[in-house]
Amino acid sequence: MTQTLKRLPVYLVLLVGAALSIIPFLWMVIASTHTTAALFATPLPLLPGGELWKNLARLQQETNFSQVMVNSLVVAVIYTAFSCVVSAMCGYGLAKFRFRGRGLVLGAVLLTMMIPMQVLLVPLFQMMASLGWVNSYQALILPFLANAFGIFLMRQAFLDFPDSLIESARIDGAGELKTFYRIVMPVARPQLAALMIYTFISQWNSFIWPLLMLNTEDKYTLPVALNTMIGLSRVDYSGLMLGSLLATLPLLLVFIIFQKQFVSGLMGGAVKG
Amino acid sequence: MPKAMKLAAPLLALALLSGCATGGVPSAAGTKLSSDAAVSGQITVWSWDVAATALKRLSKEYTKEHPGTTINVVDIGYDNAYDKMSVGLQANSGLPDVITVETDHMPAYIHQFPKAFTDLKPLIGADEAQFDPSKISASSSADGKLLSMPWDSGTVALYVRTDYFKAAGVDPSKLATWDDLITAGEEVKAATGHALISTDLSTGSLFQMLLQQQGQGIFTPDGAINLTSAAAVKALALIKTMNDKGLLDNVKGWDGRVTATKNGKSAVMPEAVWWIGTLTGEMPELANKITVVPLPAFTAGGTQTSNDGGSTLAIPTQAKNPQLAGSFVKFMLANKDNQVSMMKDEGLFPSYLPALDAPLFHAPQAYFGGEKVYELFAAQTPKIPSITYTSDNAKAGDTVSSAVVAAVLNHQDPAAALKSAAEQIATATGRKIAQQP
Repeated sequence: MTQTLKRLPVYLVLLVGAALSIIPFLWMVIASTHTTAALFATPLPLLPGGELWKNLARLQQETNFSQVMVNSLVVAVIYTAFSCVVSAMCGYGLAKFRFRGRGLVLGAVLLTMMIPMQVLLVPLFQMMASLGWVNSYQALILPFLANAFGIFLMRQAFLDFPDSLIESARIDGAGELKTFYRIVMPVARPQLAALMIYTFISQWNSFIWPLLMLNTEDKYTLPVALNTMIGLSRVDYSGLMLGSLLATLPLLLVFIIFQKQFVSGLMGGAVKG
Repeated sequence: MPKAMKLAAPLLALALLSGCATGGVPSAAGTKLSSDAAVSGQITVWSWDVAATALKRLSKEYTKEHPGTTINVVDIGYDNAYDKMSVGLQANSGLPDVITVETDHMPAYIHQFPKAFTDLKPLIGADEAQFDPSKISASSSADGKLLSMPWDSGTVALYVRTDYFKAAGVDPSKLATWDDLITAGEEVKAATGHALISTDLSTGSLFQMLLQQQGQGIFTPDGAINLTSAAAVKALALIKTMNDKGLLDNVKGWDGRVTATKNGKSAVMPEAVWWIGTLTGEMPELANKITVVPLPAFTAGGTQTSNDGGSTLAIPTQAKNPQLAGSFVKFMLANKDNQVSMMKDEGLFPSYLPALDAPLFHAPQAYFGGEKVYELFAAQTPKIPSITYTSDNAKAGDTVSSAVVAAVLNHQDPAAALKSAAEQIATATGRKIAQQP
């Protein structure tokens, strides 16, 4: 009993925290079921209204939402897959291979994290324009394939991996690729899962670069398409809320799927002695 | 308006970059346009919101009249449009044949990228005099080129809650000066308990509107800082008086103005003609409760309007098909029928004055109890005072807003607050403060 009483303040704090994180989502749900005009009324509507289907139809009609959703998925999935492969391989190389200038390469990779995106916009834009890649998906994916954060994360993950395991794999006749794929990667699954979630979310939410690159409405990704609902003297808040709500669902799904990997990748006594 | 505060950071970064980006300056001043050139091929047009709707609708008419042409209209969204366009201007590539630029934004673009836009004067020639003069001056460069074509005007008038005025026994059509309005506001407040105006003081837009009504801007025509002028002090003192008498309702941003109006917080709204779209769209329940009268003047018989908003179309020099772009821009904007149809379908109020003769502008409007409100806006549009915009208007805007807040909410003397703002702007921009007579 006293134990429970002692914990009461903790629960209260947690309750406040939970409310603070849930209320915006709840508001998103409620707002997406009203007309925009109703959202300006006082008092604010606190219960869901009956405009959901109308809002959905308008969202689909004005932004071609289903197409945009597919576009976003395609870009984010391809980017996540390739970017994680590059990060893992590069991180492995930097962690486990000894070569001249290794520290320098790592330093250079980390240094790129310090360059703000705004500085890159114009030069990168010119580069894409001269390659003829404006309004293409490779322009969204390729420039950011080597992701400094991912490389660093994977390098840290591989650092602790016992060299003796790699050596024994080599002695048993496994080639470099096989050693990497069969012996090293399975152990780094938790970190890889975390990286996948991170890269997927960052590409899914990415706004300013796709906005600059994509010039036809049928190629827009979600954030760029939702942005068109913000007009000069009129903002379609209910459509915007519904779009944001639907845009959050895939993220939730990705998180649920990969969360399991966080706990299942334990190393469990691979090295004896 | 969901305004462009968040643009400041990336734009600043772009400004810093302008020194080191290579190949960012177009070499030639663009194609010489001709009003009767043969057109063919295709163009792409960037726009947003109802403007994009209008372009899409009328582009079909254009291609019908000009076989063998294709017009692609892309809605790039308003919120970050300037980020997208600034990068294209900076990189001197990636922009389409026609872009939409707001009137207020054009002077900064003209200053920052003087060679990036095509002169549109050859398209319309003497017809230039047929446009809202305040818009033409904002779109013109110092050497007399017309770098974007005015589209719609943000003619300002006073929207009045008739039920509140009736309750106080005041006739809104008798409001000749701002002093009259303040007296009326006090009577309305006594009778109904409502404030006079809901505004967001932190944006300074009410102040700038009142300044333009007196024919002045933040800067004088030769680029000096104009904040110490008698007109500026008068405008700020007016806002302060209203607040001291409890007649101002300070709200937050665009959403705050819409909410305050919908809930009837205030008796009048000094707003542009496009506010009608917000009224009919978001608050149909206020039908028959609102009338429109000209803005009260500062002195009886003075100017009774100002400007807030409005857009233009520009043709970047990097356009691939400038002749077709020019022909299309002329077709859209320097054309009575099309301007009238955009007013009718999209609520874009023409800057092209001949369009204002159309019967549509003399038709009674059901929302306003059958009053001919567009007639009033049409009569005021040619009278909007032209003011000078400079490349530093955006930078000065924040300082001006702080001065407004300091004087109105923190009880500083208006003249002193404006003088200190002028000094800050002088330090930040290196401009002179205009000598007052």
